Amino acid sequence: MVHSRRKRKEKLENFLFTIPAVILVCMMMYIPFVMSGYYSLTQWNGIAKEPVFIGLKNFADIFTGKSSFLAALWFTIRYTFFFVIVSNVAALALAVVLTKKFRLSNFYRGIFFIPYIMSMTIVGFIWKFIFTSGFKTFYDATGWGFWNLSWLGDPGMAFWSVTLVGIWQSLGFYIVLYIAGLQAVPGDVIEAAYVDGASRRQTFFKVTLPLLGPSMTTCVFMSLTNGLKVFDIILALTKGGPGQSTYSATLAIYNEAFTRNNYGLGSAQAILYFLFVLAVTQITLRGMSRREVDL
Amino acid sequence: MKRKLLSMVLAAAMTGTMLAGCGSSGDTSSAPASTQAPAAATEAAEPAAEAATQAAAPAEGDPSQDSGEIYMFIASPEYADAINTLIDQYKSVAPNVTINYETTQNDYPTMLKAKINSGDVPDIFSSTSGKEIDTYMDYSLDLSDQPLMDVIDPGVASAMASPSTGKGMYGIAIKGNYFGLIYNKDILDKAGVEAPRTMDELKAACEKISAAGYKPFTTGFMEWWVYKHIGQHFLDAAAKEAGITAGELVTSIQNGEKKLEDYPIAYNNFFDFIDLAVKYGDDKPLETDLAGEEQAFATGQAAFMLGQGAWVEADVLKIDPNIQIGFQGYPVDDKAEDCQVITGSDQALRINKDSENLQAVLDFINWWYTSDYGQSWFTDVAGVVPPIQSDAKSEFTIIEQGKAEASANGSGELAIVDSTDAYNQVFGEAVQAYIAGTATREETAAALDEQWASIDGPQAQ
Amino acid sequence: MTRKQKRILGKVIMLAVLTIAAVFYIYPVYLMFLDSLKPFGEVIATPVSLPKEPTFENYRYVADKISYWKLLGNNVLITAIGIVGIVFFSSVAAYICDRRRNKYTGFIYTLLITPMLIPFQTIMITLLKAMNIIHLNNSRVGLGIQYWGFGIPMATFIFYNFMKTIPRELDESAHIDGASTWRTYISVIFPLLKSVTVTVVVLDVMWIWNDFLLPLLMVNSNTKTRTLVLAAYTFVGQMNTQWQYAMTGMVMAVFPSIIVFIFLQKYIVEGVVAGAVKG
Repeated sequence: MVHSRRKRKEKLENFLFTIPAVILVCMMMYIPFVMSGYYSLTQWNGIAKEPVFIGLKNFADIFTGKSSFLAALWFTIRYTFFFVIVSNVAALALAVVLTKKFRLSNFYRGIFFIPYIMSMTIVGFIWKFIFTSGFKTFYDATGWGFWNLSWLGDPGMAFWSVTLVGIWQSLGFYIVLYIAGLQAVPGDVIEAAYVDGASRRQTFFKVTLPLLGPSMTTCVFMSLTNGLKVFDIILALTKGGPGQSTYSATLAIYNEAFTRNNYGLGSAQAILYFLFVLAVTQITLRGMSRREVDL
Repeated sequence: MKRKLLSMVLAAAMTGTMLAGCGSSGDTSSAPASTQAPAAATEAAEPAAEAATQAAAPAEGDPSQDSGEIYMFIASPEYADAINTLIDQYKSVAPNVTINYETTQNDYPTMLKAKINSGDVPDIFSSTSGKEIDTYMDYSLDLSDQPLMDVIDPGVASAMASPSTGKGMYGIAIKGNYFGLIYNKDILDKAGVEAPRTMDELKAACEKISAAGYKPFTTGFMEWWVYKHIGQHFLDAAAKEAGITAGELVTSIQNGEKKLEDYPIAYNNFFDFIDLAVKYGDDKPLETDLAGEEQAFATGQAAFMLGQGAWVEADVLKIDPNIQIGFQGYPVDDKAEDCQVITGSDQALRINKDSENLQAVLDFINWWYTSDYGQSWFTDVAGVVPPIQSDAKSEFTIIEQGKAEASANGSGELAIVDSTDAYNQVFGEAVQAYIAGTATREETAAALDEQWASIDGPQAQ
Repeated sequence: MTRKQKRILGKVIMLAVLTIAAVFYIYPVYLMFLDSLKPFGEVIATPVSLPKEPTFENYRYVADKISYWKLLGNNVLITAIGIVGIVFFSSVAAYICDRRRNKYTGFIYTLLITPMLIPFQTIMITLLKAMNIIHLNNSRVGLGIQYWGFGIPMATFIFYNFMKTIPRELDESAHIDGASTWRTYISVIFPLLKSVTVTVVVLDVMWIWNDFLLPLLMVNSNTKTRTLVLAAYTFVGQMNTQWQYAMTGMVMAVFPSIIVFIFLQKYIVEGVVAGAVKG
């Protein structure tokens, strides 16, 4: 009797503690997402008063028709691959350095974080100037052919430029997360490792890194989703060009829905893409959390 | 037990507040937002309202008798100051009308769609003219019977007709515009060349300018819209050669009846021109955007500026106030008479036909177009090409030269509005791929034929 | 080389690499600031050189034009409302999801974090429709509340992953002492979440403060409810952008959030030094 009452109470608590968050998330994200999901079954330009119901035709079109969406998808996968790896390695390295005690460490932390809060339009504008005027100045000064490449104008180079600026812009975000993780690693455990005669490197790879598991899961997951959702940085830097060489999946969807006025088709693409991202992140997350070490 | 109870109550209260917060926050929170503006407006308006009621019975079409709010959500924030001045001025004409003006450039079409779908259709909104007139037809009022019809520039009015029926006038414009080739007179003088009007003259001029140590072109090829501005001159000439209008030419490709290759000027000459511009243009053509183009032109490095029009002059003058600008059409073939400037308006302001305050909206736009203040506003306040028939002199060279060119050589059709910007963007991207060397001329043309039909063709609507 | 020399050398190399990386980071920011001191012509013609006559004229103009202090207030209001809700709702949800692992909480957790995968652009139209129905649009408070929904997924995710590192013995002993679940959360768990809470606050303040699309959708229609970033964007036009004012507006919009960051940054360090995480 007591047992079941306690069970019931626990259940009620579970419900009450989580329900506000659930309601909020549903209101802001799930309901609009489902509403726009309905339009994936219609032919609709986003403007007309009556969408025309066409069933699954949009989905059929995506799979049968030849679509530039695949090229955008491939671009996004390549972008995400480099984005996740470089962001995490660089952010972890910098976080390790920045958690050391030295003068100006706070100052440096601030510097790495600033780009994350700058507006994309301005970031794009400034970087365009750096790639053109700035690099030209460097080229004149050094004579290295590297500076004289067409960083944004060559379809192959544009990929690297976008990736570079994308990482530059969001690295601070991951540094902050890694710093929080590093500071949660108990000092006495590391101390103990030293006492046992482990070298710094050994301590880092054998003790610190495994204990950073949760942080790493967080960062990899976040960088994965942010990489797969990349949008602003491309719009600001290249608008998908030159040609269509830097279209990301989300930019392609946005274009389909809002520029080409195929809201129905765009929604269908959005749903499929959502499922794709869901699958990718779930697999990664499963893989990551299996390796995690609990304290 | 007591503690357990407390935890329950707290948790419940938490949920309760949250829910209540959501329910009531709408009222409480929207209050500051919505009361502030009207509150200020009502205070100001009250004495005037009393005065108005004492006056004669309201007559239709008299702005001073109108009241209520007009919601104006338009693109082009570059005219925000000018429009705010206009709105302030209108306050003295129609004291009881409040115009809520909102503007953004980024994501405008998306925002507009979101507003339309949430039932909050703006009374005045923007779209492009021409092809897109039909897209927003459900919401748009035909202004053909309005007084402003008497003064509007015919070129502007024609871009506001429904392209499917050729009838009606479903918008007005903030500005007219001139599109053409902008050049630096000093550089041409130093190189000893006249402004070229045929392709051969252009090639010769490029060699001489190059020999004189200047860059013939700055191209802005990083921007997709530069291509449509250039391309329309070739479409016009191609249509002329085929004995049809540019609109008919575009429709024939959109319907799949013809191909781009069927129109040699729009195909061969256009791509020849692009090749020439790349050869004699910026070092990194696909990396030069509008700002880069303005930089190269205004600092006296490049002789011709491509794909631009009247709007760049103010910016260029801010960089070099003494620059000598010349303006004319593009050399598109071997006939000098085909080198025409293009005038018209590619942006439209649409009036919501279901507006709750339709009379007030109509009075406002009629006042804008027909009153003395409104008419002088275009040149004196906004500094734009007036979209009305007007003799007002502009302080801008491009506008004055454009006017002179148009009266001497005639002006071409505004062919960019025969396609939607969705296509125009694809067009720009395809030519970028051609410049980057990832597609040949034939492949590009084939892709354009297909895209033109699929985006703007009859089945797409 | 002795061990000490090695250590010093290592430190020098570390600092050198760090400085190079920092230069790479600060240069674009420095350019933005530099260009905000120039008139339009110089921004376009010589974007990377020093201003000929540096002037704060742009700042005066922009501050006046966008009624800076008023909009700063809007930003503070919206951000404050957003942050409080995000931290509260997500930390309690993450707490339950981590400590009471069963089918129900597992489902809730997945439900809460999955929206991170939804690209915002794809729900813009329907979101405004939905917010219109419950009257959360056109209002600063309403916008703050909306951020709860948008911020919860990421915050829950971060809290949840951090919660794992807090030993369960702590709340179990609190429970044995007779503390309720709520009491345990408030007096045992939440204090231990200090450093991660600051992290979430930092990330979310920066995001909300500088967000563009959602405010554009929700509060742009009235100049009195606008945010700083929205105001800075009014200088960006289709073909005529007043870059000097756009830069200035952006510097002015970003600046307060950097101050907040530096302030909170210290707090993260202090929090840890004070022994918030004892393990």
